[in-house]
Amino acid sequence: MTDFRAMQSANKRKTFALLFFMGVLVWFIAYIAIAAFGGTGAGVIPLAVLITLVSVWGSYFASDKLVLKMTRAQLITEADNPNLFNVIHEVVIASGLPMPKVAVVNDPAPNAFATGRDPNHALIAFTTGLLDSMDRDELQGVVAHEMSHVANRDTLVSSVAATTAGVIALISDILMRMLWFGGSRNRDHHGQQMPIFLAIIPLILAPIAATLLKAAVSRRRESLADATAVSFTRNPAGLRSALEVLARDTTVVQARSNAVAHMYIESPLDASAASKLFATHPPIQERIAALRAMEANPQQ
Amino acid sequence: MDISAIILIVVALFVVYAILQYNKLVRLNIRVDEAFAQIEVQLKRRADLIPNLVETVKGYASHEREALEKVVQARAASTTASTLPAVAAADGMLTNALRGLLAVAEAYPDLKASANFLQLQEELATTENKVSFSRQFYNDNVRNLNTAVKTIPTSFFVGLAKVGEREFYEVEDPTIRNAPNVKF
Repeated sequence: MTDFRAMQSANKRKTFALLFFMGVLVWFIAYIAIAAFGGTGAGVIPLAVLITLVSVWGSYFASDKLVLKMTRAQLITEADNPNLFNVIHEVVIASGLPMPKVAVVNDPAPNAFATGRDPNHALIAFTTGLLDSMDRDELQGVVAHEMSHVANRDTLVSSVAATTAGVIALISDILMRMLWFGGSRNRDHHGQQMPIFLAIIPLILAPIAATLLKAAVSRRRESLADATAVSFTRNPAGLRSALEVLARDTTVVQARSNAVAHMYIESPLDASAASKLFATHPPIQERIAALRAMEANPQQ
Repeated sequence: MDISAIILIVVALFVVYAILQYNKLVRLNIRVDEAFAQIEVQLKRRADLIPNLVETVKGYASHEREALEKVVQARAASTTASTLPAVAAADGMLTNALRGLLAVAEAYPDLKASANFLQLQEELATTENKVSFSRQFYNDNVRNLNTAVKTIPTSFFVGLAKVGEREFYEVEDPTIRNAPNVKF
Protein backbone atom coordinates (compact mmCIF):
# COMPACT_ATOMS: atom_id res chain seq x y z
CA MET A 1 0.00 0.00 0.00
CA THR A 2 2.49 2.58 -1.08
CA ASP A 3 1.10 4.26 -4.15
CA PHE A 4 -0.95 7.43 -3.81
CA ARG A 5 -4.27 5.95 -4.94
CA ALA A 6 -4.16 3.27 -2.23
CA MET A 7 -3.14 5.89 0.34
CA GLN A 8 -5.96 8.19 -0.71
CA SER A 9 -8.62 5.52 -0.31
CA ALA A 10 -7.15 4.25 2.99
CA ASN A 11 -7.17 7.76 4.45
CA LYS A 12 -10.73 8.36 3.27
CA ARG A 13 -11.86 5.09 4.87
CA LYS A 14 -10.19 6.00 8.16
CA THR A 15 -11.73 9.50 8.17
CA PHE A 16 -15.14 7.93 7.69
CA ALA A 17 -14.55 5.47 10.55
CA LEU A 18 -13.38 8.27 12.87
CA LEU A 19 -16.36 10.48 12.08
CA PHE A 20 -18.59 7.45 12.63
CA PHE A 21 -17.07 6.93 16.11
CA MET A 22 -17.65 10.59 16.88
CA GLY A 23 -21.30 10.17 15.92
CA VAL A 24 -21.56 7.15 18.21
CA LEU A 25 -19.99 9.22 20.99
CA VAL A 26 -22.62 11.97 20.56
CA TRP A 27 -25.33 9.35 20.74
CA PHE A 28 -23.70 7.89 23.89
CA ILE A 29 -23.40 11.22 25.72
CA ALA A 30 -27.00 12.08 24.79
CA TYR A 31 -28.06 8.75 26.22
CA ILE A 32 -26.16 9.41 29.48
CA ALA A 33 -27.69 12.91 29.68
CA ILE A 34 -31.24 11.62 29.36
CA ALA A 35 -30.70 8.55 31.52
CA ALA A 36 -29.13 10.44 34.42
CA PHE A 37 -30.84 13.80 34.21
CA GLY A 38 -34.18 12.94 32.60
CA GLY A 39 -36.03 15.93 31.16
CA THR A 40 -33.26 18.43 31.99
CA GLY A 41 -30.76 16.27 30.16
CA ALA A 42 -33.03 16.07 27.12
CA GLY A 43 -33.34 19.87 27.16
CA VAL A 44 -29.58 20.42 27.24
CA ILE A 45 -28.96 18.48 23.99
CA PRO A 46 -30.73 20.81 21.51
CA LEU A 47 -29.25 23.81 23.33
CA ALA A 48 -25.70 22.43 22.95
CA VAL A 49 -26.30 21.53 19.30
CA LEU A 50 -27.65 25.01 18.55
CA ILE A 51 -24.79 26.89 20.24
CA THR A 52 -22.14 24.77 18.50
CA LEU A 53 -23.84 24.96 15.11
CA VAL A 54 -23.99 28.76 15.27
CA SER A 55 -20.37 29.18 16.38
CA VAL A 56 -18.71 26.54 14.16
CA TRP A 57 -20.77 27.02 10.99
CA GLY A 58 -20.58 30.78 11.21
CA SER A 59 -16.81 30.48 11.02
CA TYR A 60 -17.12 27.81 8.31
CA PHE A 61 -19.01 30.14 5.98
CA ALA A 62 -16.73 33.11 6.65
CA SER A 63 -13.59 30.96 6.89
CA ASP A 64 -11.66 32.67 4.09
CA LYS A 65 -12.27 36.17 5.50
CA LEU A 66 -11.92 35.23 9.18
CA VAL A 67 -8.64 33.43 8.70
CA LEU A 68 -7.17 36.39 6.81
CA LYS A 69 -7.80 38.49 9.93
CA MET A 70 -6.60 35.90 12.43
CA THR A 71 -3.31 35.17 10.69
CA ARG A 72 -2.72 38.72 9.41
CA ALA A 73 -2.40 37.37 5.85
CA GLN A 74 -2.42 39.84 2.94
CA LEU A 75 -4.12 38.96 -0.35
CA ILE A 76 -1.75 39.28 -3.31
CA THR A 77 -2.18 39.42 -7.09
CA GLU A 78 -0.20 37.91 -9.96
CA ALA A 79 1.87 41.10 -10.33
CA ASP A 80 3.15 40.79 -6.74
CA ASN A 81 4.73 37.38 -7.23
CA PRO A 82 4.54 36.05 -10.82
CA ASN A 83 6.67 32.97 -10.10
CA LEU A 84 4.42 31.85 -7.23
CA PHE A 85 1.37 32.34 -9.46
CA ASN A 86 3.03 30.30 -12.22
CA VAL A 87 3.42 27.39 -9.80
CA ILE A 88 -0.18 27.78 -8.55
CA HIS A 89 -1.50 27.85 -12.15
CA GLU A 90 0.36 24.59 -12.80
CA VAL A 91 -1.29 22.88 -9.83
CA VAL A 92 -4.68 24.36 -10.80
CA ILE A 93 -4.31 22.70 -14.22
CA ALA A 94 -3.15 19.40 -12.68
CA SER A 95 -6.06 19.33 -10.21
CA GLY A 96 -8.83 20.78 -12.38
CA LEU A 97 -9.81 23.07 -9.47
CA PRO A 98 -10.71 26.75 -9.87
CA MET A 99 -7.99 29.33 -9.19
CA PRO A 100 -7.90 30.08 -5.43
CA LYS A 101 -7.28 33.42 -3.76
CA VAL A 102 -3.65 33.75 -2.73
CA ALA A 103 -2.31 35.43 0.40
CA VAL A 104 1.04 35.99 2.04
CA VAL A 105 1.74 36.13 5.78
CA ASN A 106 4.70 38.28 6.73
CA ASP A 107 6.45 35.78 8.98
CA PRO A 108 9.98 34.29 8.87
CA ALA A 109 8.78 30.81 9.90
CA PRO A 110 8.13 28.70 6.78
CA ASN A 111 4.53 27.51 6.70
CA ALA A 112 1.38 27.51 4.52
CA PHE A 113 -2.33 26.87 4.88
CA ALA A 114 -5.56 26.54 2.93
CA THR A 115 -9.11 27.46 3.88
CA GLY A 116 -12.48 28.42 2.38
CA ARG A 117 -15.84 26.70 2.53
CA ASP A 118 -15.68 25.20 -0.99
CA PRO A 119 -13.30 25.19 -3.99
CA ASN A 120 -14.92 28.38 -5.32
CA HIS A 121 -14.12 30.27 -2.09
CA ALA A 122 -10.70 28.73 -1.53
CA LEU A 123 -7.81 30.71 -0.12
CA ILE A 124 -4.25 29.47 0.10
CA ALA A 125 -1.62 31.38 2.06
CA PHE A 126 2.14 31.15 2.43
CA THR A 127 4.50 32.76 4.92
CA THR A 128 7.30 34.90 3.50
CA GLY A 129 9.69 32.49 5.25
CA LEU A 130 8.33 29.61 3.17
CA LEU A 131 8.53 31.51 -0.12
CA ASP A 132 12.15 32.42 0.65
CA SER A 133 13.32 28.94 1.61
CA MET A 134 11.77 26.72 -1.10
CA ASP A 135 12.95 25.96 -4.61
CA ARG A 136 10.50 25.53 -7.50
CA ASP A 137 9.78 21.80 -7.02
CA GLU A 138 9.40 22.16 -3.26
CA LEU A 139 7.04 25.11 -3.65
CA GLN A 140 5.03 23.07 -6.16
CA GLY A 141 4.74 20.28 -3.59
CA VAL A 142 3.53 22.71 -0.90
CA VAL A 143 1.01 24.33 -3.28
CA ALA A 144 -0.23 20.86 -4.28
CA HIS A 145 -0.63 19.91 -0.59
CA GLU A 146 -2.69 23.05 0.08
CA MET A 147 -4.78 22.59 -3.08
CA SER A 148 -5.39 19.00 -1.93
CA HIS A 149 -7.02 20.36 1.24
CA VAL A 150 -9.26 22.41 -1.06
CA ALA A 151 -10.02 19.40 -3.30
CA ASN A 152 -10.73 17.14 -0.30
CA ARG A 153 -13.00 19.78 1.29
CA ASP A 154 -11.03 19.72 4.52
CA THR A 155 -12.57 22.93 5.85
CA LEU A 156 -15.89 21.07 5.73
CA VAL A 157 -14.48 17.88 7.28
CA SER A 158 -12.80 19.75 10.12
CA SER A 159 -15.99 21.79 10.71
CA VAL A 160 -17.99 18.56 11.02
CA ALA A 161 -15.40 17.20 13.46
CA ALA A 162 -15.34 20.47 15.41
CA THR A 163 -19.15 20.54 15.62
CA THR A 164 -19.34 16.98 16.92
CA ALA A 165 -16.57 17.53 19.46
CA GLY A 166 -18.16 20.86 20.45
CA VAL A 167 -21.59 19.33 21.05
CA ILE A 168 -20.08 16.61 23.24
CA ALA A 169 -17.98 19.13 25.20
CA LEU A 170 -20.93 21.47 25.76
CA ILE A 171 -23.36 18.76 26.90
CA SER A 172 -20.76 17.40 29.33
CA ASP A 173 -19.86 20.87 30.55
CA ILE A 174 -23.45 21.99 31.22
CA LEU A 175 -24.34 18.74 32.97
CA MET A 176 -21.19 18.83 35.13
CA ARG A 177 -22.05 22.36 36.23
CA MET A 178 -25.56 21.22 37.06
CA LEU A 179 -24.09 18.44 39.19
CA TRP A 180 -21.91 20.94 41.04
CA PHE A 181 -24.34 23.75 41.56
CA GLY A 182 -27.79 22.30 41.09
CA GLY A 183 -27.42 18.85 42.62
CA SER A 184 -30.28 19.27 45.07
CA ARG A 185 -32.75 20.03 42.33
CA ASN A 186 -31.84 16.87 40.52
CA ARG A 187 -32.24 14.73 43.59
CA ASP A 188 -35.94 15.58 43.59
CA HIS A 189 -36.24 14.37 40.07
CA HIS A 190 -38.20 11.14 39.74
CA GLY A 191 -38.37 8.57 36.99
CA GLN A 192 -34.66 8.57 36.12
CA GLN A 193 -33.20 5.13 35.55
CA MET A 194 -29.56 5.88 36.39
CA PRO A 195 -27.95 7.29 39.53
CA ILE A 196 -26.22 10.59 38.78
CA PHE A 197 -22.81 9.61 40.19
CA LEU A 198 -22.54 6.95 37.50
CA ALA A 199 -22.77 9.69 34.89
CA ILE A 200 -19.73 11.58 36.17
CA ILE A 201 -17.07 9.36 34.62
CA PRO A 202 -18.54 9.38 31.10
CA LEU A 203 -19.11 13.12 31.39
CA ILE A 204 -15.40 13.61 32.12
CA LEU A 205 -14.11 11.11 29.57
CA ALA A 206 -16.38 11.84 26.58
CA PRO A 207 -15.00 15.33 25.82
CA ILE A 208 -11.43 14.00 26.04
CA ALA A 209 -12.31 11.16 23.67
CA ALA A 210 -13.97 13.65 21.30
CA THR A 211 -10.86 15.87 21.30
CA LEU A 212 -8.66 12.85 20.56
CA LEU A 213 -10.93 11.78 17.70
CA LYS A 214 -10.95 15.32 16.30
CA ALA A 215 -7.15 15.37 16.33
CA ALA A 216 -7.08 11.93 14.68
CA VAL A 217 -9.39 13.20 11.91
CA SER A 218 -7.04 16.14 11.35
CA ARG A 219 -4.00 13.83 11.11
CA ARG A 220 -5.81 11.59 8.59
CA ARG A 221 -6.65 14.63 6.45
CA GLU A 222 -2.99 15.71 6.48
CA SER A 223 -1.85 12.29 5.25
CA LEU A 224 -4.63 12.32 2.67
CA ALA A 225 -3.53 15.78 1.47
CA ASP A 226 0.05 14.50 1.05
CA ALA A 227 -1.20 11.57 -1.06
CA THR A 228 -3.55 13.79 -3.10
CA ALA A 229 -0.71 16.26 -3.68
CA VAL A 230 1.28 13.44 -5.27
CA SER A 231 -1.72 12.55 -7.44
CA PHE A 232 -1.59 16.14 -8.75
CA THR A 233 2.16 16.55 -9.30
CA ARG A 234 3.23 12.87 -9.63
CA ASN A 235 6.39 14.11 -7.94
CA PRO A 236 6.62 12.92 -4.30
CA ALA A 237 10.23 14.15 -4.15
CA GLY A 238 9.17 17.82 -4.31
CA LEU A 239 6.84 17.66 -1.31
CA ARG A 240 9.20 15.34 0.57
CA SER A 241 12.06 17.77 0.13
CA ALA A 242 9.77 20.66 1.22
CA LEU A 243 8.83 18.76 4.40
CA GLU A 244 12.51 18.18 5.07
CA VAL A 245 13.09 21.92 4.87
CA LEU A 246 10.21 22.43 7.33
CA ALA A 247 11.57 19.70 9.63
CA ARG A 248 15.00 21.35 9.74
CA ASP A 249 13.50 24.74 10.49
CA THR A 250 13.08 25.61 14.15
CA THR A 251 11.39 29.01 13.98
CA VAL A 252 7.77 29.06 15.07
CA VAL A 253 4.93 30.97 13.42
CA GLN A 254 4.38 34.20 15.37
CA ALA A 255 0.66 34.74 14.88
CA ARG A 256 -0.09 31.25 16.05
CA SER A 257 -3.05 29.96 17.98
CA ASN A 258 -4.76 26.64 18.59
CA ALA A 259 -7.75 27.83 16.57
CA VAL A 260 -5.85 27.87 13.28
CA ALA A 261 -3.16 25.23 14.03
CA HIS A 262 -4.88 22.43 12.12
CA MET A 263 -4.83 24.41 8.88
CA TYR A 264 -1.09 24.77 8.45
CA ILE A 265 1.04 22.36 6.39
CA GLU A 266 3.28 21.86 9.43
CA SER A 267 1.95 22.28 12.96
CA PRO A 268 2.77 25.89 13.95
CA LEU A 269 2.72 25.00 17.67
CA ASP A 270 5.77 23.93 19.65
CA ALA A 271 6.26 20.20 19.60
CA SER A 272 6.22 20.20 23.40
CA ALA A 273 2.79 21.84 23.52
CA ALA A 274 0.93 18.73 22.52
CA SER A 275 1.54 15.03 22.89
CA LYS A 276 1.29 12.79 19.85
CA LEU A 277 -2.34 11.82 20.50
CA PHE A 278 -3.53 15.43 20.63
CA ALA A 279 -1.42 16.55 17.65
CA THR A 280 -3.24 17.96 14.62
CA HIS A 281 -0.50 16.70 12.28
CA PRO A 282 1.22 13.32 11.89
CA PRO A 283 4.90 13.49 12.89
CA ILE A 284 6.78 15.11 10.00
CA GLN A 285 9.28 12.20 9.82
CA GLU A 286 6.36 9.80 9.27
CA ARG A 287 5.07 11.96 6.43
CA ILE A 288 8.53 12.10 4.86
CA ALA A 289 8.79 8.30 5.09
CA ALA A 290 5.36 7.87 3.44
CA LEU A 291 6.43 10.13 0.55
CA ARG A 292 9.71 8.22 0.20
CA ALA A 293 7.67 5.02 -0.13
CA MET A 294 5.69 6.68 -2.94
CA GLU A 295 8.95 7.71 -4.64
CA ALA A 296 10.06 4.09 -4.58
CA ASN A 297 6.72 3.03 -6.10
CA PRO A 298 6.17 5.44 -8.96
CA GLN A 299 2.77 5.11 -10.54
CA GLN A 300 1.68 6.86 -13.65
CA MET B 1 -51.66 -0.65 -2.75
CA ASP B 2 -52.51 -2.57 -5.88
CA ILE B 3 -50.06 -4.18 -8.24
CA SER B 4 -50.22 -1.49 -10.95
CA ALA B 5 -49.13 1.20 -8.47
CA ILE B 6 -46.12 -0.89 -7.49
CA ILE B 7 -45.18 -1.40 -11.13
CA LEU B 8 -45.54 2.32 -11.73
CA ILE B 9 -43.21 3.15 -8.84
CA VAL B 10 -40.63 0.59 -9.99
CA VAL B 11 -40.71 2.00 -13.53
CA ALA B 12 -40.41 5.58 -12.23
CA LEU B 13 -37.42 4.63 -10.04
CA PHE B 14 -35.76 2.91 -13.01
CA VAL B 15 -36.26 5.99 -15.20
CA VAL B 16 -34.68 8.24 -12.55
CA TYR B 17 -31.79 5.80 -12.22
CA ALA B 18 -31.28 5.66 -15.99
CA ILE B 19 -31.25 9.47 -16.17
CA LEU B 20 -28.56 9.62 -13.45
CA GLN B 21 -26.34 7.09 -15.24
CA TYR B 22 -26.90 8.80 -18.60
CA ASN B 23 -25.94 12.17 -17.13
CA LYS B 24 -22.85 10.70 -15.51
CA LEU B 25 -21.58 9.38 -18.85
CA VAL B 26 -22.32 12.62 -20.68
CA ARG B 27 -20.61 14.63 -17.92
CA LEU B 28 -17.48 12.45 -18.05
CA ASN B 29 -17.38 12.82 -21.82
CA ILE B 30 -17.65 16.62 -21.61
CA ARG B 31 -14.83 16.68 -19.06
CA VAL B 32 -12.58 14.87 -21.53
CA ASP B 33 -13.39 17.51 -24.16
CA GLU B 34 -12.62 20.30 -21.69
CA ALA B 35 -9.36 18.65 -20.67
CA PHE B 36 -8.29 18.36 -24.32
CA ALA B 37 -9.10 22.05 -24.86
CA GLN B 38 -6.83 22.83 -21.90
CA ILE B 39 -3.95 20.91 -23.55
CA GLU B 40 -4.42 22.97 -26.71
CA VAL B 41 -4.45 26.22 -24.74
CA GLN B 42 -1.15 25.33 -23.06
CA LEU B 43 0.45 24.14 -26.33
CA LYS B 44 -0.53 27.45 -27.92
CA ARG B 45 1.03 29.33 -25.00
CA ARG B 46 4.25 27.41 -25.49
CA ALA B 47 4.24 28.01 -29.25
CA ASP B 48 3.84 31.75 -28.58
CA LEU B 49 6.93 31.80 -26.37
CA ILE B 50 9.18 30.22 -28.97
CA PRO B 51 9.87 33.15 -31.37
CA ASN B 52 11.11 35.20 -28.42
CA LEU B 53 13.28 32.31 -27.19
CA VAL B 54 14.74 31.69 -30.63
CA GLU B 55 15.62 35.41 -31.04
CA THR B 56 17.28 35.51 -27.62
CA VAL B 57 19.38 32.41 -28.25
CA LYS B 58 20.33 33.66 -31.76
CA GLY B 59 21.69 36.84 -30.19
CA TYR B 60 24.33 34.85 -28.29
CA ALA B 61 24.67 31.59 -30.20
CA SER B 62 23.71 32.25 -33.81
CA HIS B 63 25.86 29.40 -35.16
CA GLU B 64 23.86 26.73 -33.27
CA ARG B 65 21.79 26.54 -36.43
CA GLU B 66 20.74 22.91 -36.11
CA ALA B 67 19.17 23.18 -32.65
CA LEU B 68 17.42 26.42 -33.62
CA GLU B 69 16.09 24.96 -36.89
CA LYS B 70 14.65 21.95 -35.10
CA VAL B 71 12.68 24.15 -32.70
CA VAL B 72 11.34 26.36 -35.49
CA GLN B 73 10.29 23.33 -37.56
CA ALA B 74 8.68 21.55 -34.61
CA ARG B 75 6.77 24.71 -33.74
CA ALA B 76 5.48 25.04 -37.31
CA ALA B 77 4.34 21.41 -37.26
CA SER B 78 2.59 21.85 -33.92
CA THR B 79 0.53 24.83 -35.08
CA THR B 80 -0.99 22.87 -37.99
CA ALA B 81 -1.79 19.61 -36.13
CA SER B 82 -5.49 19.07 -35.37
CA THR B 83 -6.29 15.42 -34.62
CA LEU B 84 -5.34 14.00 -31.24
CA PRO B 85 -2.50 11.69 -32.43
CA ALA B 86 -1.09 14.48 -34.64
CA VAL B 87 -1.21 17.02 -31.81
CA ALA B 88 0.46 14.53 -29.45
CA ALA B 89 3.21 13.71 -31.99
CA ALA B 90 3.96 17.38 -32.71
CA ASP B 91 3.92 18.10 -28.98
CA GLY B 92 6.51 15.38 -28.34
CA MET B 93 8.72 16.65 -31.18
CA LEU B 94 8.65 20.22 -29.90
CA THR B 95 9.35 19.14 -26.32
CA ASN B 96 12.45 17.27 -27.49
CA ALA B 97 13.60 20.13 -29.74
CA LEU B 98 13.27 22.60 -26.86
CA ARG B 99 15.29 20.34 -24.61
CA GLY B 100 17.99 20.16 -27.25
CA LEU B 101 18.08 23.95 -27.58
CA LEU B 102 18.26 24.49 -23.84
CA ALA B 103 21.05 21.92 -23.56
CA VAL B 104 22.97 23.89 -26.19
CA ALA B 105 22.33 27.11 -24.27
CA GLU B 106 24.18 25.61 -21.28
CA ALA B 107 27.45 26.22 -23.13
CA TYR B 108 26.93 30.01 -23.32
CA PRO B 109 27.44 31.71 -19.95
CA ASP B 110 26.54 35.17 -21.35
CA LEU B 111 23.26 33.84 -22.67
CA LYS B 112 22.48 32.05 -19.43
CA ALA B 113 23.17 35.19 -17.41
CA SER B 114 21.06 37.52 -19.57
CA ALA B 115 17.92 38.82 -17.85
CA ASN B 116 15.79 38.06 -20.88
CA PHE B 117 16.88 34.44 -20.94
CA LEU B 118 16.35 33.97 -17.20
CA GLN B 119 12.80 35.23 -17.53
CA LEU B 120 12.23 33.01 -20.57
CA GLN B 121 13.56 30.06 -18.65
CA GLU B 122 10.96 30.50 -15.89
CA GLU B 123 8.24 30.99 -18.52
CA LEU B 124 9.33 27.83 -20.34
CA ALA B 125 9.60 25.82 -17.13
CA THR B 126 6.08 26.77 -16.06
CA THR B 127 4.64 26.26 -19.55
CA GLU B 128 6.30 22.88 -19.84
CA ASN B 129 4.79 21.91 -16.47
CA LYS B 130 1.39 23.21 -17.53
CA VAL B 131 1.53 21.25 -20.79
CA SER B 132 2.46 18.08 -18.97
CA PHE B 133 -0.14 18.59 -16.19
CA SER B 134 -2.86 19.23 -18.76
CA ARG B 135 -1.86 15.98 -20.52
CA GLN B 136 -2.02 14.16 -17.19
CA PHE B 137 -5.41 15.73 -16.34
CA TYR B 138 -6.72 14.74 -19.77
CA ASN B 139 -5.53 11.15 -19.36
CA ASP B 140 -7.07 10.94 -15.86
CA ASN B 141 -10.39 12.08 -17.31
CA VAL B 142 -10.12 9.60 -20.19
CA ARG B 143 -9.41 6.86 -17.65
CA ASN B 144 -12.52 7.82 -15.64
CA LEU B 145 -14.66 7.84 -18.78
CA ASN B 146 -13.28 4.56 -20.12
CA THR B 147 -13.79 2.90 -16.74
CA ALA B 148 -17.42 4.07 -16.70
CA VAL B 149 -17.95 2.89 -20.28
CA LYS B 150 -16.62 -0.57 -19.47
CA THR B 151 -18.04 -1.20 -15.98
CA ILE B 152 -21.54 -2.06 -14.76
CA PRO B 153 -23.96 -0.27 -14.29
CA THR B 154 -22.88 2.68 -16.48
CA SER B 155 -21.93 0.32 -19.34
CA PHE B 156 -25.66 -0.45 -19.88
CA PHE B 157 -26.32 3.16 -20.80
CA VAL B 158 -23.42 3.72 -23.21
CA GLY B 159 -25.64 3.28 -26.27
CA LEU B 160 -28.27 5.62 -24.90
CA ALA B 161 -25.77 8.38 -24.05
CA LYS B 162 -23.92 7.88 -27.35
CA VAL B 163 -20.51 8.06 -25.69
CA GLY B 164 -17.69 5.58 -26.07
CA GLU B 165 -14.12 5.00 -24.98
CA ARG B 166 -11.72 7.81 -25.80
CA GLU B 167 -8.07 7.79 -26.80
CA PHE B 168 -5.30 8.51 -24.31
CA TYR B 169 -2.93 11.37 -25.09
CA GLU B 170 0.35 9.54 -25.62
CA VAL B 171 3.59 11.39 -26.19
CA GLU B 172 6.30 9.52 -28.09
CA ASP B 173 9.14 9.86 -25.60
CA PRO B 174 8.31 7.78 -22.50
CA THR B 175 10.51 9.96 -20.27
CA ILE B 176 8.23 12.93 -21.01
CA ARG B 177 5.18 11.10 -19.76
CA ASN B 178 6.83 9.97 -16.57
CA ALA B 179 8.52 13.22 -15.66
CA PRO B 180 6.08 16.10 -15.37
CA ASN B 181 8.76 18.28 -13.78
CA VAL B 182 11.07 19.12 -16.61
CA LYS B 183 14.20 20.83 -15.37
CA PHE B 184 15.90 23.37 -17.57
